[in-house]
Amino acid sequence: MKEIISVIRINKVNETKEALIDAGISAFTATGRVMGRGKGQVHYDILQGAEEGHPEAIEQLGNAPRLVAKRILTVVVPDELAQTAIDTIIKTNQTGKHGDGKIFVTPITETVRVRTGEAGDAALN
Amino acid sequence: MLMIRTIVRPEKVQDVMQGLLDAGYPAVTKVSVVGRGKQRGLRVGDVVYDELPKEMLFMVVPDADKDFVIEAIVDNAKTGDGKFGDGKIFVSAVEEVYTISSGVKETELEAKEA
Repeated sequence: MKEIISVIRINKVNETKEALIDAGISAFTATGRVMGRGKGQVHYDILQGAEEGHPEAIEQLGNAPRLVAKRILTVVVPDELAQTAIDTIIKTNQTGKHGDGKIFVTPITETVRVRTGEAGDAALN
Repeated sequence: MLMIRTIVRPEKVQDVMQGLLDAGYPAVTKVSVVGRGKQRGLRVGDVVYDELPKEMLFMVVPDADKDFVIEAIVDNAKTGDGKFGDGKIFVSAVEEVYTISSGVKETELEAKEA
């Protein structure tokens, strides 16, 4: 089993939910707004300049990039569905600009359905 | 790659975020959470606060950077006087990482560079 954690744009959540249903993955968990930042908004030349001791670069150092609101969509799927889920999420969320988000895939060792107590892949169907 | 989930005091979030930025790890996601630790919440007189507000910071870093990042977080998140409630850091494995805007599989890039 794999857990697919995707940090995506807020306005793409509905589209992603529908696309996942079309792909045969209906269950998911979403968080409300989360705040975050990525590497795109940091000026490495400022860091570099500060290291070299330019005063105008050092002045800029304290200016942290602003946090952007996103939502996290978490899907737990059997191994064979993982690639489908990843492809679906990439396809629906890709605009090609910075800030489309990230997908993280982590292993899950056990799943239990609370209602019946079934374990493993059976609990995901 | 490794996922580092840190639970910190809300008043320390700014320090930790700035510390990570200065350490060269700008990419972080922040979630507000509530929880309790092994002290079973906070007791003030007769009142027990079972769910204490915390912030969870969520980041994924290359395996080799783990210790450095954890040090940067701990340095900024601890209050220093040995009080309870400074938080916890959890590290877990991440098998694959994708950047949606380019569709690039970052974990594959990393493997190629190594």
